[in-house]
Amino acid sequence: MTNHTYTPGGESIGRNVPRIDARAKATGETVYAGDLQIPGMTYGKLLRSPYAHARIRSIDTSAAKALPGVVAVLIGEDVLDINPYYGHAIKDRPLIAIDRVRFAGEPVAAVAAESLAIAADAVELIEVEYDPLQTVISIDEALAADAPHLHVTQLLKKGLFHGLGDFNLDPGNVCYHHSFARGDADAVFAGADIVVEGEYTFPGIYQYAMETHTTIASWNPLQDEVQLWSNCQHPFLVRAEIADLFGLPQNNVRITVPWLGGGFGSKSYTKMEPITVALARKARRPVRIANMVDESMVTTRRHGMNAWMRTAARSDGTLLAREVRAWFDTGAYADNGPRVVATGADAAPGPYRWEAVKVDSWGVYTNTSSAGSYRAFGASHLQWAGELQIDQIGRQCGLDGLQIRERNLLTPGEYVRPGGKPLDADLIGDIRQAAANLGWGTPKPDNVGRGLSVGLLAAGAHPVSTAFCRMEADGTVTVYGSSTDMGQGVRTVYTQIMAQELALPVSRIRVIGGDTQITPYDRSTGASRSTTLAGMAVKRAGGELRQQLLDIASREFGLPPDALEIRDAAVWHEDESRSFPDLIKAHFGMVGGELIGRGEVRPEQGSGSYAEGPVFWEVCIGGIELEVDQDTGKVRLLKTASVADVGKAINPDQVEIQEMGGIMQGLGNALWEEMLFDPQTGQLLNSTLFDYHIPTFGDLAVEHASSIVENEDGPGPYGSKGVGEGSLAGAIAAVATALYDAGVTIDQLPATPERIWRAMQKERME
Amino acid sequence: MLSAFTLHQPVSVTEASEMLRHYGDDAAIYAGGTELLVLMKERLVHFAHLIDIKQIPGLSSIAVDDAAGSMSIGSLASHRALERSPLIRERAPLLAEVESQVANIRVRNAGTIGGNLCFAEPHSDPATLFVAWDAHFTLASAGGSRTVAAADFFTGLLETAREPDELLTGIDLPLLPSGAGSSYQRFKTHERPAAAAAATLWVEDGRIRDARLVAGSVGIGPERLPATEEMIKGQEPDATLFARAAELAAASVFIEEEGFESAEYKRHLIGVLMKRALAQAAERAAS
Repeated sequence: MTNHTYTPGGESIGRNVPRIDARAKATGETVYAGDLQIPGMTYGKLLRSPYAHARIRSIDTSAAKALPGVVAVLIGEDVLDINPYYGHAIKDRPLIAIDRVRFAGEPVAAVAAESLAIAADAVELIEVEYDPLQTVISIDEALAADAPHLHVTQLLKKGLFHGLGDFNLDPGNVCYHHSFARGDADAVFAGADIVVEGEYTFPGIYQYAMETHTTIASWNPLQDEVQLWSNCQHPFLVRAEIADLFGLPQNNVRITVPWLGGGFGSKSYTKMEPITVALARKARRPVRIANMVDESMVTTRRHGMNAWMRTAARSDGTLLAREVRAWFDTGAYADNGPRVVATGADAAPGPYRWEAVKVDSWGVYTNTSSAGSYRAFGASHLQWAGELQIDQIGRQCGLDGLQIRERNLLTPGEYVRPGGKPLDADLIGDIRQAAANLGWGTPKPDNVGRGLSVGLLAAGAHPVSTAFCRMEADGTVTVYGSSTDMGQGVRTVYTQIMAQELALPVSRIRVIGGDTQITPYDRSTGASRSTTLAGMAVKRAGGELRQQLLDIASREFGLPPDALEIRDAAVWHEDESRSFPDLIKAHFGMVGGELIGRGEVRPEQGSGSYAEGPVFWEVCIGGIELEVDQDTGKVRLLKTASVADVGKAINPDQVEIQEMGGIMQGLGNALWEEMLFDPQTGQLLNSTLFDYHIPTFGDLAVEHASSIVENEDGPGPYGSKGVGEGSLAGAIAAVATALYDAGVTIDQLPATPERIWRAMQKERME
Repeated sequence: MLSAFTLHQPVSVTEASEMLRHYGDDAAIYAGGTELLVLMKERLVHFAHLIDIKQIPGLSSIAVDDAAGSMSIGSLASHRALERSPLIRERAPLLAEVESQVANIRVRNAGTIGGNLCFAEPHSDPATLFVAWDAHFTLASAGGSRTVAAADFFTGLLETAREPDELLTGIDLPLLPSGAGSSYQRFKTHERPAAAAAATLWVEDGRIRDARLVAGSVGIGPERLPATEEMIKGQEPDATLFARAAELAAASVFIEEEGFESAEYKRHLIGVLMKRALAQAAERAAS
């Protein structure tokens, strides 16, 4: 069931244009980073630390170097001619371990060889002596007064894209603290009729993408030029960090981004690129490093979290105040931790009308693999806890999950947080739609629970995107944008936008992939920004090109541009037309030349900082109906419901698929996925898909109902706003509220059968 | 990343057996490869010689001997072949049902029933079922062949009664007579089951004449539960009896501390699954 409340007016927008990559992907012709063969390329393999925290006493690479076919072996001392520390938020990470390892899996040595088998054999010949150090694996251990410090935090430098205000760290294991308060929370809690309170635990989760991190680097020593082929989401931010690390001008660093086999945040910011470049620099040959799944799992992950939250309300169900403290486990290096901490805090109160809020959140270093972005970061961590408390209050007041939200949700124009952008979505309409999709209020057995959830996510990141387009003499168009197509379909969407702007069929338009030497700057691919921001740059580029065509036609017709219109691949005056190739030929005097359109998006007011943002509030709606096996605690999913509040669906099928994918991952987060680090050794215990369960089609609900809400209230092209993340956070929270409805109060995710069984045992005892 | 190895392709059981004897610990039998190659790629084990037995003819047949009241299954039959075999679906539908749930489609297509049993992974579905079904396995070598009951075949964690130069060539499965019923229940959250229970009941004149009850996935291998079997023998199959039996099964089963679930929860699961298995087996016996 899909409700499209908007009737498309244009020819391409709002249509289910087939994915331009579908055929190549289905037939296996798509070229991914791991398919590329660069002339002279060697194969890299990493030696990773077995210790979570240790001093490196010595490294003996002689046997590895002596193995025939080994081209180079890289260790920490090889990068001391540069400042080898990077990190877009905090420069806390050496590109290869230097004297010390801080998590099990940290690269200690890298081998480049003529074949991957030789590289793998050589890695086994490297002898490393370690002096183990005391580890801090959990958040609690890291925050203990006598905990060893992973970093000398006072000496750390701010990264190129910290973007979160002042940078001044106290000694200890905290890499970031975000807090805000409004109203007198203590007084409101003291006078409230109802207070619910709880402690919550969220696991570390791997952003499983089918394609692992894969990077090829080539270093040209004559010109100090670096070329990278990397499956990264943010090529321009990676370029800046590589240039910064190796002391190169930015235009000497070229990053080409092939199609990605999934990203979900795992390939955001800089990951395997620095060590690959350093190995290529030493080898003086191109080198490819392709992670195995277990290696990617310790390359990045979602933050684990401990939190405390309480919520106050009046007995009539009016919400009054919320107070939250949350500690995010960012692992050994900050990666995107500070931003996850900030957005997590901002999302914690939920989109309700509070008299008082008080939120503190901290990013905490531990001796585990480093944590960064994952689809719907921020909202995923605390929406479920907050929404569970809303339903707990509702039950005490005799209000169901829909009623208490209708009573308290913010309305458009109200402020979500102190400062920044006010609410730009109709949440009450959205949650009613979710309830309707779920069959809210229809009879059901006791062991079946229904849950709703609503939240907001600060989306868009920094609003900077550029694009251009070229119209060739035959009237075909190529779009140049740097948003990475990682399966979300962004290149198809750009095709549609350009087709709309130039009244061309989509078959006349080609979109090329990101290449920092060819395609223009885009801040990043994430935060649901590609359609909204980069798409707007594409639209403006198309608009500029369109204007050029009108100007040429104006001269040719001898009429002012406003007497002309563009339709059907031509410029028209009444029933007289000139085709685009005709106009280009007239302009250049030959069958040649080309027109170039340029588009830019930048902050419309202020600096576009996080505090002034977000670009838009992404709506995180969830609706779940599930059945709990009363004997085992196993959950059977009966129905999932989604509501995509997207302003305008440029390609409704793609919106719906994004929603489904987000829900699928959300179910994984809520029910199955959890990275288990050994509490003593810090080693990841479930580093294969045997032991780490990602959702499969067999896990999905029996039924799914989705709706697309198109109020044209977004800042993107045609009133659109981003989609794809909200449903993930919404689904996690709806699992928690649905379980609550089925009689199970969960305070730790994932809600495994055993945890549910224990919660039911506890309930039965009480 | 696989290290280098030599692949041998014998065409008879005798030849394979001689190769195994010759290469000793440096050799492993390679059939479906779904367990072996994973371990070798992870570099957890290494064998310089792989003895690929897929070229040996006649080891993947499935046949019924009505006179003997049994079904014979060749060890090289894939899980997928067992799942889809019309003969198994008709004469031993529970086996087809269990095989259809083994691991995933790729493993079922490549993996063989013999490889599954010889690997003796404690979470094996067919291993637990075969013990509850009193299947017998044929082990053959250059020196001859012998038959071992399933319950005696599994001797420990990843250990079997198979001698290093022996091949498991076939499985002999007694067909359940009318009045008998069997059930396999498992609980799974990851690739491998967390707990499983299999029950076979022979019911005569409204009473349980004989029972084979087996717990799987929670210990070092399939575990028969003789005390529980004794408790229900001679009794009328009903819900109260099965609830008591399930309690005893849960209390008496050996639980190995491993995996994601606690021992306490796995013990509880064995009770739940055994109760369900008993009920379904009794229902099938009555139909």
